[in-house]
Amino acid sequence: MPLLELQQLKKYFASQKAVDDISLTVEKGQIFGLLGPNGAGKTTLIRMITGIFYPDEGQIIFDGKKFDPVKDVGYIGYMPEERGLYKKMKIGEQAMYLAQLKGLSRSDAQARIKEWFVKFEMESWWNKKVEDLSKGMSQKLQFVTTILHRPKLVILDEPFSGLDPVNSNLIKDEIFKLAQNGSTIIFSTHRMEQVEEICNHIVLVNKGKKILDGTVTQVKQEFKENLFRIGSSEVIPALNGNAPFEILNSGKANAIVRIQEGKTPNDVLQYLISQNVAIHSFQEILPTLNDIFIRLVESSPAARQFQSI
Amino acid sequence: MRKTFLIIKREYMTRVRKKTFIIGTLLFPILYLLLIFGTGYIAEKSRQQLKIAVLDSSGFFTSQKLNLQNLADESSIMDLVKTTAGKSYDYDASGYDALLIIPAMKWDTAAPNNLVLKANKSYGASVESAVQTKVNRIWDEVKNENLGIDAGKREILALNRIQVKAVNENDEKMDAGLSSGIGMACGFLIYFIILIYGSQVMMGVMEEKTNRIAEIIVSSVKPFQMMLGKIIGIGLVALTQFLLWIAFVFVIYNVTANLTGSGSGGAANQIVGSIQTIFTSVNLPLTLFCFAFYFLGGFFFYASIYGAIGSAINEDVREAQSLSFPVTMLVIISIVLMTTAVNDPTGPIAVWGSIIPLSSPIVMMARIPYGVPGTVPVWQLALSMGLLIAGFIFTTWFAAKIYRTGILMYGKKTSWKEMLRWAFRKN
Repeated sequence: MPLLELQQLKKYFASQKAVDDISLTVEKGQIFGLLGPNGAGKTTLIRMITGIFYPDEGQIIFDGKKFDPVKDVGYIGYMPEERGLYKKMKIGEQAMYLAQLKGLSRSDAQARIKEWFVKFEMESWWNKKVEDLSKGMSQKLQFVTTILHRPKLVILDEPFSGLDPVNSNLIKDEIFKLAQNGSTIIFSTHRMEQVEEICNHIVLVNKGKKILDGTVTQVKQEFKENLFRIGSSEVIPALNGNAPFEILNSGKANAIVRIQEGKTPNDVLQYLISQNVAIHSFQEILPTLNDIFIRLVESSPAARQFQSI
Repeated sequence: MRKTFLIIKREYMTRVRKKTFIIGTLLFPILYLLLIFGTGYIAEKSRQQLKIAVLDSSGFFTSQKLNLQNLADESSIMDLVKTTAGKSYDYDASGYDALLIIPAMKWDTAAPNNLVLKANKSYGASVESAVQTKVNRIWDEVKNENLGIDAGKREILALNRIQVKAVNENDEKMDAGLSSGIGMACGFLIYFIILIYGSQVMMGVMEEKTNRIAEIIVSSVKPFQMMLGKIIGIGLVALTQFLLWIAFVFVIYNVTANLTGSGSGGAANQIVGSIQTIFTSVNLPLTLFCFAFYFLGGFFFYASIYGAIGSAINEDVREAQSLSFPVTMLVIISIVLMTTAVNDPTGPIAVWGSIIPLSSPIVMMARIPYGVPGTVPVWQLALSMGLLIAGFIFTTWFAAKIYRTGILMYGKKTSWKEMLRWAFRKN
């Protein structure tokens, strides 16, 4: 049973269709990448999942039942992209406050905060004020307050912005641990290399519509261009008419080739062997998510137009 | 409910623990003490005796008469002098501060309207009037002597003073002066509370928005709970401060009453005395209840609007000013209506001003000390209270709609027109 199911969700604002008929399914324990250019409707979508906005049309099914914003927000942890904390409040009190707002009791909140503060080496911060923290430190605090109540669904919008590599890895490890322990994570970012590293499943949204949905491997297969890198001891000789591929780029000891429609890599190898080329390596080149993202988004008009509804 | 309570608690605790709250709360009683003792002390210290030389050409102002007046009022000493010095009088050499020249005149004709008190320094109206009283008393005496009116007849004349006093038949013990004083004080207090704490609500909402914590909070609680929690929390802060002040006033009142009971400090005694009359002559439980009601009602009515404005602002204080200006104007108009209502508590302005919820918190408080049901019929009070409750439920609902949209809206400058559109959108 999926944890979250969106069915034909729509949200129109006065000047634009922010979310225009999006359906998607997030399985339990998945790390789900929600991608899209600026203004694609990601934030609106997330705000509907977190109960901040009500959809104009469509349904949200959360954990098998119709989503109830009042009750279910206790099972969701949301770290928005534009995030902040009360500057004048002490860090310990702040974490206590946010945890209690999520429904934790005082003693539970205190115990869990202590535990996380030890884990992230933040014990000495309890009585400091947020305004005294660096950006990275407050980011860590923010992450802790998002997951303190052990939510079933964690939504992280650009969680690594402003973090150094060490702290990025720290958070990344925690995200993996959360997923292993059964939490489901929706991860929204523009950094495609992070998506490739972290996500199992991705959805690409543009102009309020879903334009891509699948696992990372599926998506890459779907957008592959039959490119292979061939490493050889000498330059590949000029191709004759029966060659099942074309050479796109040829260097001294390696070449990038595109296999013709209907041919297989084995055909390529057979041809090369028959030509007596000594092959060292033969490797498929899959497109990066970054390439796919750019290709898909650029094929539609770049800037989002205001549509009348 | 639990979440709203958590928000109220946070709003309340962070504000009450702030230095500005503690200072503001302590400063008031200190200022109050300074007012009582300071004025008394300054009055005592600054009292100086003015020596006035009187150059009498009429012959009526004898030194015997002058001495009698000097005994009655020691703030100035008048001495008869005989000098024919030229135009300028040498004040330093003579030892006098001022010179009063009385021309020759007859007792049965009109005395000159203006006598000139010459001096080489400026003296205020109080000196002028003190001297004037003395001179007129002597002049009356001169007339009495010449008319043959002796002490006995004079007493009969003095008996002849008739005073007119307005009495409300429904509520005899009310005194117009005292009622208007209490009414004004209550009205102004509510006015300050609405403006000061209303803008605190506005700044608080604005802070949450610019800190970007709003989105985190609304993913846990409903925007309505968030707004309500803030308003109630800040309202409780206002109430706390107010109750502390009242407690301080009672303590100080009792302490100073004991201190000044021996009858040394005149000014302090007077203030303490007037407070005592207030406590004894007004229907205290009713006035306090109404004050608490209109204070909270007025605060809720306006605070939610201020909250809605706060949610529409993006970090720009000027924007806050221009959006809150119309609301602040309404509060100021209420004060203007109140000053009219205090003088004419049953007039149409007073009646309507105290019923319409926009101005009722301030205007009604100006009328209540005149008496219920004498001046304010029960139906008016009930209607006013009912409308105020309905009013603040409406403004809270209205503000919540604006707040929901505004709190997450960044970067765009907002106008009242836009805010109204948010409020009346279907969801």
